[in-house]
Amino acid sequence: MAERALTEPIIEPAIEPVEPVVEPVVRGSLPRRDTEALAHLTDAARRARPVVLARDRVLPVPGTLGALLPDGALRRGEVVTVEGDVGTGATSIALAFAAAATATGEWAAAVCVERSSSRVAGDLGAEAALEAGVALERLAVVRRVPPTRWATAVAALLDGVSLVLAEVPRHARAADARRLVARARERGAVLVPVCAPGVPWPADAALRVRAAGGPWPGLGAGDGLLSERAVRVNVVGRGEARRARAGTAGARAPVSLAAAG
Amino acid sequence: MRAPAERTLCCWCPDWPVATARRRDPGLAGAPVAVVGSGDPGSRPSRGPVVCAASAEARAEGVVVGLRRREAEARCPGLVVLDADPAAEARAFEAVARATEPITPRIELVRPGLLSFPTRGPSRYFGGDAALARRVLEAVAGVGVVDARVGVADGAFAARLAARRATDEPCVVAPGASAAFLADWPVETLAPTFEGGADFAHLLVRLGLHTLGAFAALPAGAVLTRFGPDGARVHRLACGHDDEVAVLVAPPPELVETCELDPPATRVDEAAFAAKGLADRLLARLDESGLSCTQVVIEAETEHGERVSRCWRHEGVLTPTALVARVRWQLEAWLTSSTRPGEDDEGRVDDATGGLVLVRVLPDRVVPATGRQLGFWGGDAAAGDRADRALARLQGMLGHDAVVTGVVAGGRSPVERIRWVPWGEPRDPGPAGVEAPGWPGAVPGPAPARVHDPPVPAALLDAAGRPVVVSGRGEASAPPARLECAALPEGGGPVLAWVGPWPHDLRWWDLPTRRRRALWQVVVGRATDTGVACLVAVEQGTASVEAVYD
Repeated sequence: MAERALTEPIIEPAIEPVEPVVEPVVRGSLPRRDTEALAHLTDAARRARPVVLARDRVLPVPGTLGALLPDGALRRGEVVTVEGDVGTGATSIALAFAAAATATGEWAAAVCVERSSSRVAGDLGAEAALEAGVALERLAVVRRVPPTRWATAVAALLDGVSLVLAEVPRHARAADARRLVARARERGAVLVPVCAPGVPWPADAALRVRAAGGPWPGLGAGDGLLSERAVRVNVVGRGEARRARAGTAGARAPVSLAAAG
Repeated sequence: MRAPAERTLCCWCPDWPVATARRRDPGLAGAPVAVVGSGDPGSRPSRGPVVCAASAEARAEGVVVGLRRREAEARCPGLVVLDADPAAEARAFEAVARATEPITPRIELVRPGLLSFPTRGPSRYFGGDAALARRVLEAVAGVGVVDARVGVADGAFAARLAARRATDEPCVVAPGASAAFLADWPVETLAPTFEGGADFAHLLVRLGLHTLGAFAALPAGAVLTRFGPDGARVHRLACGHDDEVAVLVAPPPELVETCELDPPATRVDEAAFAAKGLADRLLARLDESGLSCTQVVIEAETEHGERVSRCWRHEGVLTPTALVARVRWQLEAWLTSSTRPGEDDEGRVDDATGGLVLVRVLPDRVVPATGRQLGFWGGDAAAGDRADRALARLQGMLGHDAVVTGVVAGGRSPVERIRWVPWGEPRDPGPAGVEAPGWPGAVPGPAPARVHDPPVPAALLDAAGRPVVVSGRGEASAPPARLECAALPEGGGPVLAWVGPWPHDLRWWDLPTRRRRALWQVVVGRATDTGVACLVAVEQGTASVEAVYD
């Protein structure tokens, strides 16, 4: 696929024109159809039909995190994976995406998988979500989902909400993941699988966002306070956004807004 | 053309939520108890959780219905405050309903604690209203409720007030004397009769009408003009007429909604989820016919043929949420009830021995719908409906409290500051976002994105490898040098930066529940670039990771 410069407007190819309907004329009983006028009308209708470009159906993400995404937004119907080890800022990025969804009055949901003894990942902090800008009354958290029902739960959520943050369980099947990708595209919802290290997303994704952590400057040896940090974020895209963008970004708090690369 | 008010008997078990709590926990007998809740499901919560029932000892100290929790605790220092559990109350009240069933089959439950029925037939059978009322008292005393009050009057509204006035002896208001009986009551008694009733009563007081008699003395036409159809309705109530509109609409026979459950549902959640679809369909069809429903009969049947049928009466019109809540109460009451030894169950309602196969809802009394005024800035209702359906479906699949929304409450540590409210239950409006004044003693700084509840055990060690402990005065034994925990990558590592300890002394006034702990903010890792910041709590010498700043 040829790389297009992002400044060039993207024009969707027009859909094939509809053949003008020509009905057989029954002589003697019905008036003749004016086929010429009908042809003019269908032509005018095709030109005047509203077309929604794919790039307009987006969820804008504010801040420097949005600046790293193509068009500064999440495209509806796409899959954006967020990867990162514990403590690298992956959850804050996921919450920033959820904030982008709830800011426009839409709904978001988060799916947390049942804890097994070997995986200790913790629950979402509602206060951190509030500080990231999420409207808590429109963020539903589904807790303690057994890994066997994870796919059905995420599929049910994709039907109803605009953005789903899904923690990927350890042995997620590739077939399930592909079905979820197709369903997200069909419903126009954004699927954000949150992958712990060692648990990859088994299907393809339009964007892969990787959080690489950052220093915490505010704390000293027995004094100071955790206040801000700049998180290094790596965004790798497929297709149009193929160029890997690296930069520093962050959610509203606790991270600062350093310049993007 | 108005039908004369039907003579009704009302049996009221005062402070039923408190009585239910005392049955569950006999140690509360004699203690001042208040039950805090948000009111009827389906009605819009007005101000957050308020006291909905208080025991006699608490009332003596000044705790009344409608107070906020903190005010109630301030008025009565030893108050035991419990959260409302409408399902348990309904379950307990099922026994009372069953005890009254031999007297008459047409019992109407208004809410747990209040039941009523028309007395025309039973009164003739038992030889008068007073005899009937005493019979009801005996029946109810047979299941252990000794403080029930019974009142008989024309119309359900007057009967309820008669029950309030009754003591050990039932209060029987002579036929036709309801208007005189009602005249002395204050207008605040009109508050529960419809949504917005409290404001309406307040308005009447400001206009100078303090009693129902004064309100009833106004001409009906003037009341209709000034207050609208709702006001005209309560005016009829205050005059002693029955709560019916001029035209009593008979529900069309095809408006019965049935839901067959195949495979049979063994959990109340599954049946309640199915009932939600039922409720939506029924109320949508009633809407199309321009009707709304004030009384429903809910029937359920198991695979072995046992069935239960209860009539639920509602003040005002039923919303889908209120209807589903009543279905849930009835099913919980039926499926989880157990006959106590010695109880004479005559087999009228068989205990459930199998799964549920059928839930049926019949509208019993319908009134013409006056519509609902929606807010102007309504928001995206369609998106909310879609999300609601998806989340309700997940609730049916995974359990009632698997789907939650977060409410930020007050507290010191991140775990305490979150309250997860199951979907469908009212969210009490928390403080307005981050602009709320800070909670004294709260952990400063940004909120952590990952919270561990329960906290993950960890080991906070000093340079010599000994665990770091914090003395009673808040002094640490040594600066921390290493943190080991399963929740951290590579199981932990050397401490790069730290601050603390912040000592917390929780509930110092209550010896059994007193907790003393110290919090630390610690950055752990091998290089400053890849440090993981987390919140560590040290309590009684053992450390645990409470949250990770992800």
